Amino acid sequence: MLSIKNLHALAGEKQVLNGLDLEVGAGEVHAIMGPNGSGKSTLAQVLAGREGYTVTGGTVTYKGKNLLELSPEDRAREGVFLAFQYPVEIPGVNNVYLLKAGLNAIRKHRGESEMDAFEFLTLIREKMKLMQMDESFLNRGVNEGFSGGEKKRNEILQMSVLEPSLALLDETDSGLDIDALRVVAAGVNSLRSPERAIVLVTHYQRLLDYIEPDHVHVLSGGRIIKSGDKSLALELEKRGYDWVKQEAAA
Amino acid sequence: MSTVAAKNTVSPLERYKMAFESRWQGNDELTALRHAALEQFLSAGFPTQRDEAWKYTNLRRLESRSFTPAETSALDAHQPEWLATAGTRIVLVNGHCLPALSSQVAQPPGVTVLTFKQWIEHEPAAVAAYLKEQDQLTGNALEQLNLAFFEDGVVVNLADNTILDEPVYIVHQSTSSAAQRMSHPRIVVRAGRNARATIIEHYLGANDAEYFTNAVTRFDIAAGGAVKHFRVQQESPRAFHIGHVQTKLAKDARFSIHDIALGASLGRSGITALLEGTGAHAALFGLFAPMGNQHLDAHTRLDHIAAHTTSEEDYRGIAGGRARGVFNGKVIVRPDAQKIDARQSSRNLLLSPTAEIDTKPELEIYANDVKCSHGATTGQLDATALFYLRSRGLSESDARAALIRAFAESILATIDLEPVHAALEKQIDERFKLVNEAKA
Ligand SMILES: Nc1ncnc2c1ncn2[C@@H]1O[C@H](COP(=O)(O)OP(=O)(O)O)[C@@H](O)[C@H]1O
Ligand SMILES: [Mg+2]
Repeated sequence: MLSIKNLHALAGEKQVLNGLDLEVGAGEVHAIMGPNGSGKSTLAQVLAGREGYTVTGGTVTYKGKNLLELSPEDRAREGVFLAFQYPVEIPGVNNVYLLKAGLNAIRKHRGESEMDAFEFLTLIREKMKLMQMDESFLNRGVNEGFSGGEKKRNEILQMSVLEPSLALLDETDSGLDIDALRVVAAGVNSLRSPERAIVLVTHYQRLLDYIEPDHVHVLSGGRIIKSGDKSLALELEKRGYDWVKQEAAA
Repeated sequence: MSTVAAKNTVSPLERYKMAFESRWQGNDELTALRHAALEQFLSAGFPTQRDEAWKYTNLRRLESRSFTPAETSALDAHQPEWLATAGTRIVLVNGHCLPALSSQVAQPPGVTVLTFKQWIEHEPAAVAAYLKEQDQLTGNALEQLNLAFFEDGVVVNLADNTILDEPVYIVHQSTSSAAQRMSHPRIVVRAGRNARATIIEHYLGANDAEYFTNAVTRFDIAAGGAVKHFRVQQESPRAFHIGHVQTKLAKDARFSIHDIALGASLGRSGITALLEGTGAHAALFGLFAPMGNQHLDAHTRLDHIAAHTTSEEDYRGIAGGRARGVFNGKVIVRPDAQKIDARQSSRNLLLSPTAEIDTKPELEIYANDVKCSHGATTGQLDATALFYLRSRGLSESDARAALIRAFAESILATIDLEPVHAALEKQIDERFKLVNEAKA
């Protein structure tokens, strides 16, 4: 589904990604772990097409297409979804407007008809229940005045409405208490399917207790320096990152 | 040779003089007033940028045109949409009331709504007396020009304690036959003690017509009265629009205006409120959105003459293309006017690197026990928010339109008259979708 080869990229003026390789297949869940500043969010932003992040080398192929050529909205319409590490507050733009406009744009791209108001509301109600969010959130500004945990839940709500093929979650778990973590994990797990791939960026093994990854990667210095299975995450939790770095340097 | 050429060229002001002389003869009192106003206009001339109040707005292009008084006409086949309001509707076509298009509902006792022409016909002496008294309020040359040339308009009188539940909707429609013409409508609203009314003025024009609207609207609100005014300027994109709104507020009177400017090539609204009685309150909300090469200027003046008067002012500007916006908000607190509370905010959004908005708050405070605050900001669309919306599948133009609407929403949300609110939301959305698509 996603094939990243020798990716080099700048965040602003700063060289952050230095030859990153990653292969993600349909149906798989990958976890990317790594110290602060190692380039995890940069990778996520590059994949979502954020301005100010410049690819200087390498390729990213998504469903056989050159992902880097697509506008951010076309990536979304092709099924790429990024749950932001820091979701943006947009006062004056309704949550429900965003969900509806996003969903309809994606459906139109797929050649499907727009959802009518009733269908849409039924869908939203069901998803909000799953995320244990009150319906009053719908008519508030996007993330406006939401607590940290509410913002993260709202990201997953959007994801579950938009039903992406490739979901990138950038530290969706940080700042969540254990109950919120369970809700978020349930939301993510409900999307797991043989056609979808999920990439979780996280600092903590904790999330992986709820969303079990097939592969775990360590990102350091802008490259994947080690990959393994679930047990690697447990080992990182115990021993930190230094041993991996030393091993990679050797 | 050159002297001959110079003699043959009629100066812009002379053209107004000639137009006047071919229109207004006779020696009645009203014509005398018009004449005096014309003389004042001619001796002052069009304001120039050396005049502090016109620093950012150059009228030379307007001055160079030779507009003649507009005549009424049939409506064009492609007619811009009017608001679907209940109540009385009075339609002026090219500055002249057209009863056939108007719909007068039965007014409650104590309320009269008539056209200015009717008033002049029935009570010429009262009109002259009224204008003479009002005339002293202004030294503005363009208001004098209106007085010299005005032909029609609307007069609303509310006796004490009368309440007009439904708005009076005044449509100022300029048609394609207004091209190269000018109109000087005049609106007078006199609200008695504790009277209440809502007055909508809607200026619309045929696309492509270049014409000049120079309107004067006067509100006189007696003690305890309350007037809400909505002023929606959607003139033709080639038009010149100068609007003067002046309100006098007696004790405990309340006035609010929504000054919305979307149309015209060059537009200016000058809003003045004189808070003459204690407890008076004026609220000024404005939204101006020049695009392309438009120039829109909002000029407000809140004059706290009496103690214990309050005002709030919230203006937002959105400029795109090579457009220019101007906000000038003056607050005056007179020497004996203690216990004043005046808040002003001006927020501006630039959609392109070649757009410009000049904002100039001015406080003139001669009393010491006052609370005055003002804030002005100018920024661009938030790139992070834009990316966030696009990352959810919205096109760049939809994402921009949503953020622009959100910016305008804080003004639109204060419009508690649904037909006006709904029409403006639609206008704003269509306008910025169009602009964005043109950009893409
Ligand atoms: N827009 C930017 N401009 C300049 N430097 C940036 C920008 N974004 C991130 N960086 C820097 O790039 C490095 C990697 O950041 P990031 O990808 O956010 O790391 P992580 O998510 O792994 O903590 C950090 O040193 C960070 O300060
Ligand atoms: Mg990060």
